[in-house]
Amino acid sequence: MNTEFFDYEGPEEPELQIPEGWENRAPDGWEWQTLWEAIETGDHIYADERVRQSIDTGIDPRVILDDGLFPGFNLQADRFSAQVIFIPEMLITARAMKAGLALIRPLLAAQAEKPVGTFVIGTVLGDMHDIGQSIVTIMLENAGFNVINLGTDVHPDRFIETAQKEHADLIGFSALLSTTVYYQKVTIEEFQNAGHRDKVNILIGGAPTTQEWADECGADGWGKDAVAAVRLALKLMETPRQAWD
Amino acid sequence: MSDKISVTFATAAEQGARKTVQVTRDTTILDAARQAGVDVEATCGSRGRCRSCRVKVLKGDMPPPTVQDAVQLGHDEVLEGFRLSCQTRMLGDTTVLPMPPKAEQGHKILEAHESEIDASTLNLDSGVSKFTVKASTPVEEHHQTSDVEEILSTLPNLSNRTVPLNCVRKIPQELRKQGGILTITQFHKQIIDVEAGDTTKHIYGFAFDIGTTSVVGTLLDLQTGEQLASAGGVNSQAVYGGDLMSRIAYAQFDEQKLTTLRAKVINQVNQYIRQCCDEAGVNSNHVYKIVIVGNSCMHHIFLGIDVSYLGLAPYAPVVRENLVFPASELPLKASPNAMVCMLPIIAGFVGADTVGCILSTRIYESEEIRVLVDIGTNGEVVMGSRDRLTACSAPAGPALEGAQIRDGMRGAIGAIEKVEVDNDIICSTIGNVPAIGLCGSGLIDAAAKMIDTQVMDSNGNFRKRDVEQLPERLQNRLIVAENGSREFLLVSEQDSGKNRRVGITQGDVRQLQLAKSAIFSGIRMLQSVMNISDDEIFHLMLCGGFGNYINIESAKTIRLLPDLKHERIAYVGNAALLGAQMALLSESERDTAYRLTQQIEHVALAARADFQDIFVDSMAFKGSPFPTPSKTSRNKRKERQRTQLVK
Repeated sequence: MNTEFFDYEGPEEPELQIPEGWENRAPDGWEWQTLWEAIETGDHIYADERVRQSIDTGIDPRVILDDGLFPGFNLQADRFSAQVIFIPEMLITARAMKAGLALIRPLLAAQAEKPVGTFVIGTVLGDMHDIGQSIVTIMLENAGFNVINLGTDVHPDRFIETAQKEHADLIGFSALLSTTVYYQKVTIEEFQNAGHRDKVNILIGGAPTTQEWADECGADGWGKDAVAAVRLALKLMETPRQAWD
Repeated sequence: MSDKISVTFATAAEQGARKTVQVTRDTTILDAARQAGVDVEATCGSRGRCRSCRVKVLKGDMPPPTVQDAVQLGHDEVLEGFRLSCQTRMLGDTTVLPMPPKAEQGHKILEAHESEIDASTLNLDSGVSKFTVKASTPVEEHHQTSDVEEILSTLPNLSNRTVPLNCVRKIPQELRKQGGILTITQFHKQIIDVEAGDTTKHIYGFAFDIGTTSVVGTLLDLQTGEQLASAGGVNSQAVYGGDLMSRIAYAQFDEQKLTTLRAKVINQVNQYIRQCCDEAGVNSNHVYKIVIVGNSCMHHIFLGIDVSYLGLAPYAPVVRENLVFPASELPLKASPNAMVCMLPIIAGFVGADTVGCILSTRIYESEEIRVLVDIGTNGEVVMGSRDRLTACSAPAGPALEGAQIRDGMRGAIGAIEKVEVDNDIICSTIGNVPAIGLCGSGLIDAAAKMIDTQVMDSNGNFRKRDVEQLPERLQNRLIVAENGSREFLLVSEQDSGKNRRVGITQGDVRQLQLAKSAIFSGIRMLQSVMNISDDEIFHLMLCGGFGNYINIESAKTIRLLPDLKHERIAYVGNAALLGAQMALLSESERDTAYRLTQQIEHVALAARADFQDIFVDSMAFKGSPFPTPSKTSRNKRKERQRTQLVK
C-alpha cells in the first residue's frame, strides 16, 4: 500500500509570513498577532478597531499596512491560490482588509505616497458577472494600485475613455462566459485601432480563459487567479511603455 | 513545403477502418477529426480545459505540447505522445489514435416511459382532424372543373379552401386510386393532407424534449392519447461542447458551425421518428403534429436561428412566441405538412423546456406555494402559485454531469452513483461493475458523506488537523493527489475498473460548490423576491434527467436543495417532455403555454444587487467550519516542523 496513506501531513500549507523585525517598528509591548488573525478569519469589526488603535498610538501608516494588515491577508491569498480556501473565505478576508485599508489610505495619501500604478478593470461587454474581478480589485488595491473598477458589461469605448483620462498603466478585462471571451479580443483590437495599445499593458482573466487564449487575443498576460494577476501586474509595471500625452 | 498535410486516424486494435484526411498545415487535430468524420468528444467546447479530446500521436511530426497540454495531461502523458486534440496544431503528416469516448456505455437517459402521460385528465383536442369524402373525377371536357375543385365541392363550408402545393401534386393519383374515396386531414381548418381510402383511424404525433445533454421523443396516438413508442439518447451535438454556453460559443458568429449543430439535431430527431414509427408499425406520413420543447439555445439551433446574441448580455432570445412550421420546411420526416409546434420561451435562459414543466406540473393552478427545480448544466427554478409565478435560470455548469471533475463522467456503466458510509466508505456503481469514475449523483453523495463524517467542513475544506479523530479507515482515505492537493480516496487502483484510483480532490469539491451554489442561490433569490420562507414552501418538485438519480438527503446536506421535510420534496420525472405531450394532445394546453409566458416574471440573477451575497452564502455546505487554529496550535505546528528539520 502507498505509504502516503499512513503519513497524512497533507500538502505543504501556506504559512503565516511574519514580517522580519516588526518589533523594532512597533512600540514596546505591541502585538500584531490578533490583527493578523482578524484579517485571516474575516473579523472586520476587530480589524477596524485595532487599526484605529494603531493609528492613535502613532504607528506609521505604512508600518500598519505592512506589518499589521498584509501578513493575514497574504496568508489567505496564498491559501486561496492553493485552493485550500475558497471564494467565501477570501471575500470575508477581503472585507476585513477593506475596513483596515479605508482608515490607512487617507493617511498614506497625506504622506504623498504614490500609487504603484493605475489599473482600469472591468468585465467585458455582454457579461454581467463580477465576483472574480471584485476579488482582483481588492488585491490590486492592497498591492498599492490605484484601481478604477468600471463594473460589468463594459463597452470597449468606455475602457478606452477611462484609460485615456486616468493615464492608465494597466487594463484588465474579465470574462466569465465562454461566449463573452470574444469581447476580450475585440476590446484589445479597439485599443489598437484607437492608437493606445502601446501605452498600456493588458491583462485578461476569468474562468473560461487560458494562457493560450491570452496569447491568441493579443493580451500581455493572463492571471490564473487573483494572486497571479497581482504578481503579473507588478511585473508588467516594469516593462517600458509609450507615455500618454 | 506543401501547405497540405495528411492526417490518419488509427483505431485502438490496429484494425477496422483507418481514416485519412488532407488538411492545411496548422489545423488542429480536432478539426481534422471532424473533417474525417471521426467523433472526438470535446466536453469543454475545445477550450483546452478538460481531457476528453486527448489523442495519442503515433507517427509523424510530433507537435510541440501547448501550455494546456501540460496543465491537463501532465508531464508523463505529454512525453508518451498524448496531446489535447483541440489545442494541438499539426506540422506535418501525422498518425494519431483518438481515445474512445470514456467507455460510457449504458448512459442513463431519462426514458420517456418513466413519465407517461395520463390522457384521461386532458381534453383531447390536438387540432388535427380527419374525415372521408367521396369525390368524383371530372367527366366532361366542357365542364369547366378540375380535380381539386371536385374535391373541394365535397368539403363542409367551414374549411379553409386552400390546398397546399404538395397535396395538389399528388391529387391526380390519390383521387383515382380508390374510386374517389379520400381522407382529408386538417389542422384547425387548414387542409394539410389528402390521401386515397379511409385512414381516419390513423392520427399520430410526436413530442420531443431537446435538452443540452439528451434528446427524448415519444410517439402518441392523437385520438386516444396512448403512447406507442419512445426513443432517446445523448444529444449528438455534445461532442461540440458539454454545456450550453460552450455550444453557443462554438456556433457564435459562424453560420457554418450553426448549420453543423442544426444538422446533428435534425438528423437525430428524424432518426427517432423513424425508429418509433417502425417500432409501433405506424406510417410516418400519418404523423401530423410534432411538439418540441427545449431550452432557448436548443430551440434556436433546431430552427437554425443565430444564437450569437443569446450568449451575450442581456441574453435576449431572437423569438419567444409559439411558432408553427410545416415539417417539410425543417425538414422532419413526417407528413410533409405536419405541424411542427415550438412551445414558447420565457427568457434567454428560461426556455420552452421550463414552459413544458410548468404546464405539466400545473404549478400555475396551485393554491399553495410550489417550487420547480430542473437541475442541469443550466438549472431553472420556478416558484409560486396561481397568484404569482417567478422564474430564473441558474448557470450550474457541467460539473454535476462529471465535466471538470478529475474522475468525473456521465451517469454510465462503471460510474459511482451512490456512496454509503458505515465505518468505511462503500461505493456502488451503475451496472455493479468496478468503478471507472464518478457521476453527478455519486459526487453529491460522496460530498454529503464527507460532511457527515467530518472529513470535510461546511466551507468545503478537507480536514487537516486532528485527522486521528476520524475512524481509521477514513483516515487512510485522505491522501495527497498528484498535483499536491488533498484528495479523498473512494476506490483504490486495485479495486477500480481502470488502472487508476477514483477519488475526490479539493479542486473537485470547489467545482461542486460553484455548481450547487448556482442552483441553491436561484432558489434563495426567488424566495427573496417573493418573500417566501422555507416553511411556506408546500412542495418542491425536481424534474429533468438528473433529478431522478440524486439522493434527496445528500442534496440537502450539501445545500443543493433547501432543508425541507422529506415528504415535501419529490421527483416528478421528465416534466418538460410531459408538457410537450400535453400540448401535443391538446391545443388549449398549447394556448395556456403562451399565456403563461406572458405572465411569469423572469428574475435575472446576475443583474440583481444582492446576488453576490446570496451566491457566496450558498457555497457553504451544512454543518460548521473547522475551527481555525489558535495561536498555540500554530506554534506547536511550527515547533514540530522545526524538530523535523533537525532530524
